[in-house]
Amino acid sequence: MRKTKLYMDTVVDIKVVTRYSKEETEEKINRAFQAFQKVEQACSRFSAASELMQACQNVGTPVKISPFLFQPLQFALEMAKFTDGLFDPTVGKVMELHGFNRHYLTGDTIESPSAAAVTYHDIELDQQTHSLLLKKALVIDLGAVAKGFAIDLAANELNEFDGFVINAGGDLFAGGVDENRNLWKIGIQHPYQKDKIIKTIEISDEAICTSGSYERRNPALPEGHHIVNPKTKCSPNELISSSVIAPYAMMADAFSTISFLQGIKKGKSLLEKVDLKGLLITPELQIVRVGGI
Amino acid sequence: MKKVDKKWVLLCSTAIAAVYSAGYYTTESQAAVQPIQQHIVSNLQKNNDSLNGTGKKVVNSQKNKLYKDGTFTGSGWNRRGSIGVQVTIKNDKIKDVEISDFAMHYSESDVVGLPDEVLKKQNAQVMNVSGATYSTQAFQDAVQEALDQARNA
Repeated sequence: MRKTKLYMDTVVDIKVVTRYSKEETEEKINRAFQAFQKVEQACSRFSAASELMQACQNVGTPVKISPFLFQPLQFALEMAKFTDGLFDPTVGKVMELHGFNRHYLTGDTIESPSAAAVTYHDIELDQQTHSLLLKKALVIDLGAVAKGFAIDLAANELNEFDGFVINAGGDLFAGGVDENRNLWKIGIQHPYQKDKIIKTIEISDEAICTSGSYERRNPALPEGHHIVNPKTKCSPNELISSSVIAPYAMMADAFSTISFLQGIKKGKSLLEKVDLKGLLITPELQIVRVGGI
Repeated sequence: MKKVDKKWVLLCSTAIAAVYSAGYYTTESQAAVQPIQQHIVSNLQKNNDSLNGTGKKVVNSQKNKLYKDGTFTGSGWNRRGSIGVQVTIKNDKIKDVEISDFAMHYSESDVVGLPDEVLKKQNAQVMNVSGATYSTQAFQDAVQEALDQARNA
């Protein structure tokens, strides 16, 4: 069975290999979709009503936040430390200024207050009280982790099936086996030919996420796209696509973004350092395989 | 599977566990829908308070809302054919957008193999594809059409 819904400004497609009745299967799939709904309501920077945007109205006072926000934010902050700020969830205002400021369903645009210069050091999380403290006004962008987190939660809901694939606009987790009891066969999108695949891989109980500059171009700048280096405030163009395979989608999501930001050499050595498999593609379609993919 | 960096794996699994242990994602499906109902009730009360200040719990009247409650359909086109959406609205909030007839599929014939790669032929198996996150732009017309139908005159 297969169902498709819109969440987080993308298409979320869930497919299961089921032995359950139609009703039972549908109910379980709907529970998996709820993960996306909950994470979106918690983490969206496009909706003033989201838990994130509500919490960010309080500068200088700790605010208790739910795990749907706390956990991906904590993961993003760890990544920021690990990459010395190349990956930085405080890039939200820069994204807003680059024209990524519009809610995909309502069309409403958002303009948030922010201090001029912000980094992840301006965010503090308290493990004991599960609270968030902003030292400056800023906009948090969890675009590189929240979707992955929702995929991981949804996967947890679908564990009882013999097989399932959750594909959230090109970031996916494949659990168990396909209809023919084989590993799931996954294609990696060709960067220039929309209907073509550049490589196929086989995975089971793993996620693959791809960061690329060929979708979501910057509405304001011809050279820009939706992946922005927080330090230079520019979009890197050394790679056109970076795919990473990991045990969790949140991990694959973050590392595909980071390797994309780092480019060929550094991206490759980063993936080797953390022992992940990946496929980096340059605009000239030079393909760099990492970790025996 | 290769050995991977334990720190990140641990952070991911702890993150999932934290959601469950905090009781935010209950195992009972009945309980799972409750927060939404509570949310609606509190919305109703809030609306009512702001309207007449009595604080009495009454059902929100239809004419105060921009949109009708219910599920509405819309359709549009993407490069592979027609797409349909079912938009569910409750209390002027979009609760759910389900896609029907979505053709973002790839088949074996769409595969551009690398020179050294030989692909096994399989009978028109539909493929799952990983790529840069594509946006919902193609669906916006369809969603708008559904919203237009739901709008109260």
